[in-house]
Amino acid sequence: MQTKIILDENELPKKWYNIQADLLSPLDPPMHPQTKKPLEPADLEAIFPKELIRQEMSQDRYIDIPEEVRDILLLWRPSPLFRAHKLEKFLKTPAKIFYKYEGVSPPGSHKPNTAIAQTYYNMKEGIERIATETGAGQWGSSLAFATQLYGMECKVYMVRGSYDQKPYRKMMMQVWGAECVPSPSPDTNAGRAMLEKDPNTPGSLGIAISEAVEDAATHANTNYSLGSVLNHVCLHQTIIGQEAQKQLAMVDATADIVIGSAGGGSNFAGTAFPFVKDNIDKKSETDIIAVEPAACPTLTKGLYAYDYGDVAGLTPLLKMFTLGHDFIPPSIHAGGLRYHGMAPLVSKLHADKLITSTSVHQNEVFDAAVTFARTEGIIPAPEAAHAIRVVIDKALECKKTGEEKTILFNNSGHGHFDLSSYEAYFAGNLPDYEYPAELIAESLRHLPSL
Amino acid sequence: MRSIGFIINPYAGMGGAVGLKGTDGCVDRARVLGATPVSPERAKRFLSSLPHYGVSFLTVAGIMGEDSLIREGFSDYKVVYTPTGDDTSSNDTELACLAMKEQSADLILFCGGDGTARDVYHAISQDIPILGVPAGVKIYSSVFATTPEAAATIVSTLVCGNFNTFADAEVLDVDEEQYRAGTLATRIYGVARIPYIPACCQCSKQVSFGDELHLQQDIARFICSIMRDDTLYLLGAGSTTRAIADQLHLPCTLLGIDAVCAGTLVASDLNEAGILDLLTRYDLVKIIVSPIGAQGFVLGRGNQQISSSVLKKTGINALIVVATPAKLQRTPYLYVDCGDDTLNQQFGDSILVICGDRMAQRKQLKH
Repeated sequence: MQTKIILDENELPKKWYNIQADLLSPLDPPMHPQTKKPLEPADLEAIFPKELIRQEMSQDRYIDIPEEVRDILLLWRPSPLFRAHKLEKFLKTPAKIFYKYEGVSPPGSHKPNTAIAQTYYNMKEGIERIATETGAGQWGSSLAFATQLYGMECKVYMVRGSYDQKPYRKMMMQVWGAECVPSPSPDTNAGRAMLEKDPNTPGSLGIAISEAVEDAATHANTNYSLGSVLNHVCLHQTIIGQEAQKQLAMVDATADIVIGSAGGGSNFAGTAFPFVKDNIDKKSETDIIAVEPAACPTLTKGLYAYDYGDVAGLTPLLKMFTLGHDFIPPSIHAGGLRYHGMAPLVSKLHADKLITSTSVHQNEVFDAAVTFARTEGIIPAPEAAHAIRVVIDKALECKKTGEEKTILFNNSGHGHFDLSSYEAYFAGNLPDYEYPAELIAESLRHLPSL
Repeated sequence: MRSIGFIINPYAGMGGAVGLKGTDGCVDRARVLGATPVSPERAKRFLSSLPHYGVSFLTVAGIMGEDSLIREGFSDYKVVYTPTGDDTSSNDTELACLAMKEQSADLILFCGGDGTARDVYHAISQDIPILGVPAGVKIYSSVFATTPEAAATIVSTLVCGNFNTFADAEVLDVDEEQYRAGTLATRIYGVARIPYIPACCQCSKQVSFGDELHLQQDIARFICSIMRDDTLYLLGAGSTTRAIADQLHLPCTLLGIDAVCAGTLVASDLNEAGILDLLTRYDLVKIIVSPIGAQGFVLGRGNQQISSSVLKKTGINALIVVATPAKLQRTPYLYVDCGDDTLNQQFGDSILVICGDRMAQRKQLKH
């Protein structure tokens, strides 16, 4: 019984898969935040390098991964695919459970897959400094790691709630030479405005994005970088799903169910898009499930509409499932995945019913995480544990029906910096937050009208 | 050095053991029935869990405080009030509180029940934070620590200087005469300030929910954002619902039921008949309430105007429950007691509670 399925280094994918080429209909275009007209590539040049803008709008099915990017990805890629024999045995399920493990990257998550690529293109176009936001710190530490390797400066606006709760993530950023400040910060107009309105705010990803975008737009040598949501970010993550397909083929397995946790959507996209392609091409009928927190159920309870990517309304308007750009999930919600919107590409697939979604409460998520850690050994990040919750539920369904389904999920990172959340779980201090969907329909009237 | 007012109601809890459902006005009867003092033992548990440094007590002579302090070896105290008669009374509690306020107490800690809480609050209102060591027959008010030891933890934290979190807590007025007759009639007597440590004895690393006032404002903003002009809103009692009225810039009664429609105050301090009358004039109605008291009653304590007759007319889906996360954490279960058991059961075993801006918690519900 093979446990680890390992690809040779020369099997590292040479191209990213761009699902825009295979959508049932084109994505609705991003809109300019002021004019509300479709965005032109030039509108993005103040904060993004030209090649990433090209990728954002590209209809090419495959896009070459530069050798300089592959060279760095080889530090930890191809990532292993594990067969979760011990979890299967514990659950007494006939299901076969496989998981990609992205926690092997130096920052410990899937995020560097795009951080490396984005930093590379910025460096090639002469940018010296990158500004970004981070929630739990996975993205910030990944970008700090990438910018250090390319000799660039990095400033990270970290959601204050996480900044206070997760000191070691900011230490990682410091080790990799980045400057990390709590957001909202006094360093930007957006941050100052928010602090004036509410000095005690725990911050949110939307506020931090506003700060980072403003930083990039007001410094000539600085660009902005986003760790999720955008098309090119999802594109860079497809390396995960492509590797998984090769690895499953090595053991003659095909996935019946693919499960990924979804916050902004890039981890889910990276795992799922190559499998969605096979479904679109009628090569398979895989169930593809996005899992999100009940506290921030963008796909399951949100509205599919144009909305800003940030609180201040500085970013382009994107057609996506959204809970409203001013939505700030409680900082005590320990599971991450707190972004108000969902990647337009993931949203489009959901609207076209090519994927499904479900939401879970954080206590059941941590319960699954502990089960996983006690069987497979790896302590998962709470974000990844959302997927694990549904994997276990699906495996238990198989136990009832006797079906030997093959389930694949992405264990997107380790939880070594999330132990305070585990502590809160063990102490019974994690409330199960829930989005009051029926009442919320009223509050979505604040969405910008187009 | 913190200055802590320390008062024992020596008769609190005596009625419980002999089936009197409270001791107000019937201490002698309790004695005849064989009741013995309860509160000195509770005070002992509190004091024996408290470090002997960093705190200076202001107390009452004799059995209302000083005796217990001496027994537990505390020497740093000052007697600020001496009862005049042989038996102490609620008047002594109130006069002692006023003396402690005069001496700039940082906190008044009392050992008693709901009646004692009402006396303390009557004397000092929100001027000084208060905290109860539970010793009474009835503990419906939410100004009490869960146990005497929990009270000691809170006071220890306070005297260490690591403390700046205070929360609103309802003092309930329970009519003991009716209670003994089998009817629990309660209303909110007032809203006191208590020092608040989330789950004060559970874990070294506590979860912080942020400032209570700030969180109430979050809830209020959200509720106001979903209010519709064609709907009548009945606002229940309590500080969280008051925050909603504040957000609407409307005066409200705090302790009663108010009616709001289209941003206008339609009626205030409504009784059941007044509510039923309004329901004949409005088709769309929502009822916004906050759990009340130590036990977390959504309905049935402090807001009994929202009766089963009212709920039958509005339907139970009209109910919107609001509470801050901190309040929900110290209230593990919520209760519904609208006076009609069949209706109570319709609420099911859980209820959604709005606890922030577009955020709720599902709480276990008991009937």
